[in-house]
Amino acid sequence: METLKTKLDGIEDAVFKDIYVDKERITLIYFSSLIDNKILHQTVIAPLLQSKADVLQTSEVIEAIDIANVISTITEGNTVLYFHAEGLYLSINTFSAPTAAISDTDTESSVIGPQNAFTESLETNLSLVKRRIQNTNLKIRNFVIGSETNTKVSVLYMDDIVNKENLDIVINKIKKIDHPGFNDISILQQLMDDHPFSPFPQYHETVRPDIAVSGLLDGRIVIAMENGKGIIICPISFFELFISPEDYYNRWTTASLLRFLRFFGFFLTIILTPTYISVLTYHPEMLPFEVLLNLQESRGKVPFSPFMEVLFMELVIEVLREAGSRMPTKIGQTIGIVGGIVIGTAAVEASLVSNTLIVIVAVSALLSFLPPNFIMSNSSRFVRYLFIFGAGMFGLYGQMIAFAWLFHHLLSLTSLNTPYLTPLIPRKWTDVFDSVVRMPTKFLKYKPGITRAQTKKTPPVDKEE
Amino acid sequence: MNLVDNKLKVLNHYHVVFLIQNVIIGTSLLSLPNRLSSMGYSLWWMPLLFGVVANLLLIPMIWLVRKYPNDTLFVIHEKLFGKWAGKTINAILLVYFIIVIAAVCSSYIRLIQIVALVDQKITAPLIIFLIIAIYIAHGGIKSVARFCIISFFLTFGLLYFLKWGVADGDIRHIMPFFNFTPQELFTASKKGLMTIGGFELILFYFPYIIYQKKAFKHASLGLWMSMVFTFAFTFVSVMFFSEWQLENLLYPVLNLFQEVQLSYLERLDVLGITMWVYLILSTTAAYIWVAKKGFDSVLSSTKKSHLYFVAAIVFILVRAPYMEAFQKLLFERVFYVMYAFFLWPILLCLIHMMKPKKNEGSK
Repeated sequence: METLKTKLDGIEDAVFKDIYVDKERITLIYFSSLIDNKILHQTVIAPLLQSKADVLQTSEVIEAIDIANVISTITEGNTVLYFHAEGLYLSINTFSAPTAAISDTDTESSVIGPQNAFTESLETNLSLVKRRIQNTNLKIRNFVIGSETNTKVSVLYMDDIVNKENLDIVINKIKKIDHPGFNDISILQQLMDDHPFSPFPQYHETVRPDIAVSGLLDGRIVIAMENGKGIIICPISFFELFISPEDYYNRWTTASLLRFLRFFGFFLTIILTPTYISVLTYHPEMLPFEVLLNLQESRGKVPFSPFMEVLFMELVIEVLREAGSRMPTKIGQTIGIVGGIVIGTAAVEASLVSNTLIVIVAVSALLSFLPPNFIMSNSSRFVRYLFIFGAGMFGLYGQMIAFAWLFHHLLSLTSLNTPYLTPLIPRKWTDVFDSVVRMPTKFLKYKPGITRAQTKKTPPVDKEE
Repeated sequence: MNLVDNKLKVLNHYHVVFLIQNVIIGTSLLSLPNRLSSMGYSLWWMPLLFGVVANLLLIPMIWLVRKYPNDTLFVIHEKLFGKWAGKTINAILLVYFIIVIAAVCSSYIRLIQIVALVDQKITAPLIIFLIIAIYIAHGGIKSVARFCIISFFLTFGLLYFLKWGVADGDIRHIMPFFNFTPQELFTASKKGLMTIGGFELILFYFPYIIYQKKAFKHASLGLWMSMVFTFAFTFVSVMFFSEWQLENLLYPVLNLFQEVQLSYLERLDVLGITMWVYLILSTTAAYIWVAKKGFDSVLSSTKKSHLYFVAAIVFILVRAPYMEAFQKLLFERVFYVMYAFFLWPILLCLIHMMKPKKNEGSK
């Protein structure tokens, strides 16, 4: 007990409270910030005063020898009861930290389909998943990571679908993690990356329970963390990062059109402004004379080279975006209007940039926000700068070299040791049904190749007798 | 170098097909109609003849490597000729490969300079090209094969732009058919045969192939895919250009791209030649990988740094301030070594048959 007091010395909310039952001294130890007095009274004190034997039967015994175990029980929000006469430690769950209510998602919103988002409570998040999959094949394995924070992590998978090799990789990765603390699951994601130097996300992070459930049913592994609103899904392929959950709730025609836009939008956003540089700096002869004349006219008074002009405008857009996202919502909107209209118009009138470039940069910026995955959206912006520098140095040749790098980089990336460009390499023809074009739901019978699921088919959705 | 471990067998049938297909198509296709021009309009069927020749040459190659399924040609040399003689032959091969890489890089980068980067020196474009080629080769032969697949799909669309050549060309140019002398056929073959160079690299990546028994079929498929590509460009060139133009235009295929008329794009040849970089990168990366294996063999140590040595020597060969005439001679003459190298496996097959069987690799 003295050791325990020494260990918890200096922690203001650590409470050591003595009560006497049948003249026997019992010390209650807990953190007042993690429990509710009402719950403490209902679950510990009142039952104890009524019948000590009942409490002894219903509570959990802690091995007293291991002081670290006692401390971790207290830090988890339990109340530890120390029976002085017997020298016995018991623990009762009294955890009652304030948790946010389940709310709608604001980062991955959709017009149709479920709106609930995960919260920062692991238990709530697990319940959100379990509510949707009422099946004993849904397994959960818990881990504690973070040498200083002792953060709880849960790995969820469908036992009858998941690829066991993938599961072993995930578990081994989690066990090997040596990091002091985690404020968010994205840090865990980065630590688990197969290729940490890549600008591309190799795991899918989401706050939507419906995506997590779809992932589980595909045979993927879901990782949730205490205090993290998002969960991560793995493995994931490059193509899947352009899929929105709404695609499955929409008609297949609309879903395919939007997917097509998102996917090719990624490539357009990285080549639009670099092509402007290439054509104007190195290959003006590529353009028809009338188009070239219009372009030259629009940037007639611009004193900078196309490269500097593009870089300037791209950076302005980045600054606006960053400023807008850090401000409160209403001010953020104002920043958007000020930036978009005032600076844009003024920059053209001041002959700092051409109005053609304003259009190209604006379209390029909009296209960069098309991918539903925010990290992928950021990646596209980063990659665009590589293309801008490539175009600035070597024109179209630089762009092609940048493309060669990009394609080869994507080819060499893996997510849980599975090629990132699946199903393109290695190909699995059934994945074509749910790729850039989303076929009608009745065609989506097969699990995605990347998951290497045990069961290859999903149950039929439209079996008619 | 002995690849007993099956985990090192990484190339599936798609990899083999596209490795063969893409490594063959280098810069020589761009000038092929010009090289064959001594035959006049009769040149259009030559790529098909080259395809047959290449396919025939493939037979002894595959026969040989199937006798040593876990060894590259570098190891086979050591097994057939003994350690020192084998290493000497490997060293000569290494020099040959490095010169081929330098020749391919040099011709492509100079073309880029002429078409797309008129005011620039070639140093920076060459460096960036070599960096990417090393990056691709760094991942091993599977990485090169994957890049070949991507390159194929990126450049396959270039065939579409032949439409204008067909529309404006004259089909009557393909006749007369046999209007050439044996001397003209010999000259055209001598100059044009280099177009098929690249398929012989199977002697080096054969041990990495998973389905070795089907390698001949897959290699032949890849070979004919590239021959169809080559044939299409040659055929349309014959249709489109006059005999005088075929003889005097150094890069007729490039000029074909110039004929494309789009309302939004004036000169497609710039786009075409810059996109050609994928085909050149596939070729170069594969050769760099083989040269690296050559370094490993000659120095008896496997190191990634050998890739950088290869690239550094290539850079020096292309950029070193020595006589331009010598460089030109070197890059032209190296292709005669290529022809010798095509026939080399036949000699090796004979030596293998005469050698005692104890030297044969494990199957």
